[in-house]
Amino acid sequence: MQCDWPLLGPLKWIRYVNKQVKVKAGKDEERCGWLLTVDPVSASLVLVNFKEEGGASVQVVMGHAVEEVEVLREADDETTERLQTSFLPSKTRRLDP
Amino acid sequence: SIVTSAASETDAEQLPKEQHARSVLRESFLRCLLSMTNKKVRFHLHERVKVEATFGASDIDVLNFQVSDLHTPIGVQKEALIRCQDVISFTFEA
Amino acid sequence: SSWRSSMAPPSERPGERRGAEMKKLYGKDAAKIQAMEAAMQLNFDRHCDLKQPKYWPVIPLKL
Repeated sequence: MQCDWPLLGPLKWIRYVNKQVKVKAGKDEERCGWLLTVDPVSASLVLVNFKEEGGASVQVVMGHAVEEVEVLREADDETTERLQTSFLPSKTRRLDP
Repeated sequence: SIVTSAASETDAEQLPKEQHARSVLRESFLRCLLSMTNKKVRFHLHERVKVEATFGASDIDVLNFQVSDLHTPIGVQKEALIRCQDVISFTFEA
Repeated sequence: SSWRSSMAPPSERPGERRGAEMKKLYGKDAAKIQAMEAAMQLNFDRHCDLKQPKYWPVIPLKL
């Protein structure tokens, strides 16, 4: 699925959100992760990989370096929830003690 | 003409959707950048250069990252700016 | 003065133009995004003023 990633635009980028993707960037470098968001200014992708012991590893791939983005699978509800609450502002977590 | 008015009608429907998508994506990205403050970040630059630093701040056009304690191959630079054009990707633990 | 006439009309100030651009890009969320961006840019500028970071590498890897 070759595409000119930086030119796709918000409506196409948002379709990749909550999908597990494989991104080719730079010279023969590949990375996988759940796509949290795409910066509409720089076309950079934010990939999240959850760790078994809790927490997550976050990888940001700069839009200008992206060569190919491939969708591997869709997130289930639990993964989506986990993904989308990772960087929420404190005010939406007001139920926390 | 008919063609242009039909096109602008589609645009008129499309525009709010596109604006909403853009704002959701951007807000989430800005929050991600904010969450990196004071975190150890590993940068993969072009030419297979890999460096580690403590993240400080990013400008909003995503052109420069301000970092501290940058571990370069030839030593530590206390305060540095990294050009985003030099960066392929970067990683941190959340 | 004379140099002004060659630039944007005096009524069009950078701030206003940016506001209009933001409105076009983000619609009803423009104010929220603009506020977040303003805070972030201010933070970046403040850090740079304070710490005077130098570019690394000195020469860009990729032009």
